[in-house]
Amino acid sequence: MDMHPRALEQSNSQFGGPIPNESELTAGVRIEPGKSYGFFTDTTLCIGCKACEVACKEWNNLPADNLGLTGQSYDNTGALSANTWRHVNFIEKAGVRENDLAPFQSGWLMMSDVCKHCHNAPCLEACPTGALFKTEFDTVVVQQDICNGCGYCVPACPFGVVDLSDLDGKAHKCTLCYDRLKGGLEPACAKSCPTDSIQFGEIGELQQRARERVGELHRLGAEEAYLYGTPGAPGATGDLGHLNAFFLLTDRPETYNLPAAPTRASNRVVPSLFSGLAAVAGLALAAAAMFARR
Amino acid sequence: MRSMEGIVTIVQEGRFQLTDDVGVSHLCILDRNAAAEPGQLAPLQRRQARVRVRYTRPRNLIGFLIHSVALAG
Amino acid sequence: MYQGPTYYGRAQLKPSPFNNWVVGGYVFLAGLSGGAALISAIADAVRPIGAAGAVRRGRYLAMLAPLVGPLLLIEDLRTPSRFYNMLRVAKGTSPMSIGTWILMAFSAFAGLGAAAQFASDRLGWLWPRRAARATQVPAAVAGAGLATYTAGLFAATSTPLWAAAPQSLAVRFGASSVAAAGAALSLAERSARTRRALDAITVAALATELAATEASHRSYRRAGVDGALDGAWGQVEKIGATGLGAALPLGLLVASLALGRRAGRLSQAASLATLAGSALLRMSIMGAGDDSARRPEISLRFSQPDNLPRV
Repeated sequence: MDMHPRALEQSNSQFGGPIPNESELTAGVRIEPGKSYGFFTDTTLCIGCKACEVACKEWNNLPADNLGLTGQSYDNTGALSANTWRHVNFIEKAGVRENDLAPFQSGWLMMSDVCKHCHNAPCLEACPTGALFKTEFDTVVVQQDICNGCGYCVPACPFGVVDLSDLDGKAHKCTLCYDRLKGGLEPACAKSCPTDSIQFGEIGELQQRARERVGELHRLGAEEAYLYGTPGAPGATGDLGHLNAFFLLTDRPETYNLPAAPTRASNRVVPSLFSGLAAVAGLALAAAAMFARR
Repeated sequence: MRSMEGIVTIVQEGRFQLTDDVGVSHLCILDRNAAAEPGQLAPLQRRQARVRVRYTRPRNLIGFLIHSVALAG
Repeated sequence: MYQGPTYYGRAQLKPSPFNNWVVGGYVFLAGLSGGAALISAIADAVRPIGAAGAVRRGRYLAMLAPLVGPLLLIEDLRTPSRFYNMLRVAKGTSPMSIGTWILMAFSAFAGLGAAAQFASDRLGWLWPRRAARATQVPAAVAGAGLATYTAGLFAATSTPLWAAAPQSLAVRFGASSVAAAGAALSLAERSARTRRALDAITVAALATELAATEASHRSYRRAGVDGALDGAWGQVEKIGATGLGAALPLGLLVASLALGRRAGRLSQAASLATLAGSALLRMSIMGAGDDSARRPEISLRFSQPDNLPRV
């Protein structure tokens, strides 16, 4: 990427404070309320360094948990949780490429998973207090001063992202660094990513960039590359709309613990309520007949 | 319950860093029944307030669970 | 059966953090109270004098959910001191929000009805009877909602077992609620004629529940989530809720109605089994649902494109 012209103004390292609109320098995008922002995570560039996990925990002051080893490749984080908002998956596959590399080394998939910030977010739609809301950056955030820990957002999420903390009794998940966005800063994980596997930007532009990347990979012979979570693609199914955090994958979604065709849970409210009420109404008529009988 | 003193240096939601007198920062999480609300933490951080916290150590997690926060002299 | 890959067998979804005994208990009481308000209102409309006892007991029984329900629900919050935040919004996409307001409305109408009943029972006043009669219709409507919204609450999640059969689950919950209320009122009923009517209502409700159970299980097999019922909770659902809690009392009640007046014991046994079955139904559905969320081969199978709703 070419250096942003504004970077020349910042040659002095003695900053008095944050650089205004720093995201222009680090991500090439100015953050403005009213636009949609998200992540494009290109798994073909991920090297499994977990810088995103560390940057996320550092910025958001999240504790290390699940101490110890899992024995599941290099993944000792395990899963997204109340204390872990970025999680790098490690999948070791044998014999997928014909080259001289040792077995498994040639087919190592890594993927930095995160909250998808769904367009029609089931967690947000399920939240009975309004604690979960859509921000001015089109991201989904839990307002900690409102959440009462009912936990209904947890089973609502089709990706298993939202989690309740038993310590502070609130629901937690990635905020897409809401506080940083308000300050004109790129989210911590994307800024720390050394290979640009995690790219932050305005959604329309990111989707365009992602489509070009898939075309480039196809030309290079990696025909298995596809997008997950862009309009019409796997992941953006069942009326969820597009995912503001979407992915470029090279194996079927389930390999990365992603659902192939998730759905919008709130679409089941009306059919369920209607059927239940119809059944009870029928039984009410039957009851009237029973009481009327001699 | 054990307690310690320090300065509130970073606040995120109901979590904060408490920097003690030898300069070590401890990751603290407000307990759900704590005698303090997350909204009260940010003013403490802005003032770099010196506080005394009572804490327990949760299992399988590196951090302190804070049950009360009081201003210290 | 799902043949595809999982990620080290790790869960792809998170199970609900609800305490199944506490929340399941609430769902049962909500159904029982809603059904009681409904049956009481119908009895009063159709047989105001002959069934006065059942009407009165129904109005009191309806107070279970307003009195105990909120305590159970608040107990299950991780930050109970903020329970009132449930009342700051009303959201059509969230059955938990819909249910909060249904419970509020039901509590108001059922509470007025029970208070009016109490005033006329104990103080001998006549005007409260008209007040009770005026509140019983909205109480019955809210009661129908209270008995069924909980199924919508489970269905509108991503938990495979709950999401796989939104309609038949609601019919099961609704029918089980009416059955439980009929059974509870029958237990306390002294008039043989009214007890027969209540038992006949329970028979209709149990038959509906069993038909919906069969429809649910068909949906589970079609969606590939029936494996979630292989565990302990699944056995409770099959043997406890469906067998001993619905099919057995249905048979007993049919026998009792055929035998006529001499079969009071059969009716009592059936009523107790119905009540236990209704409670077990809610708890086993919750437990087996959590199992389905924990098992990636079930959740990844459920989220295959062939399970997408047809547009």
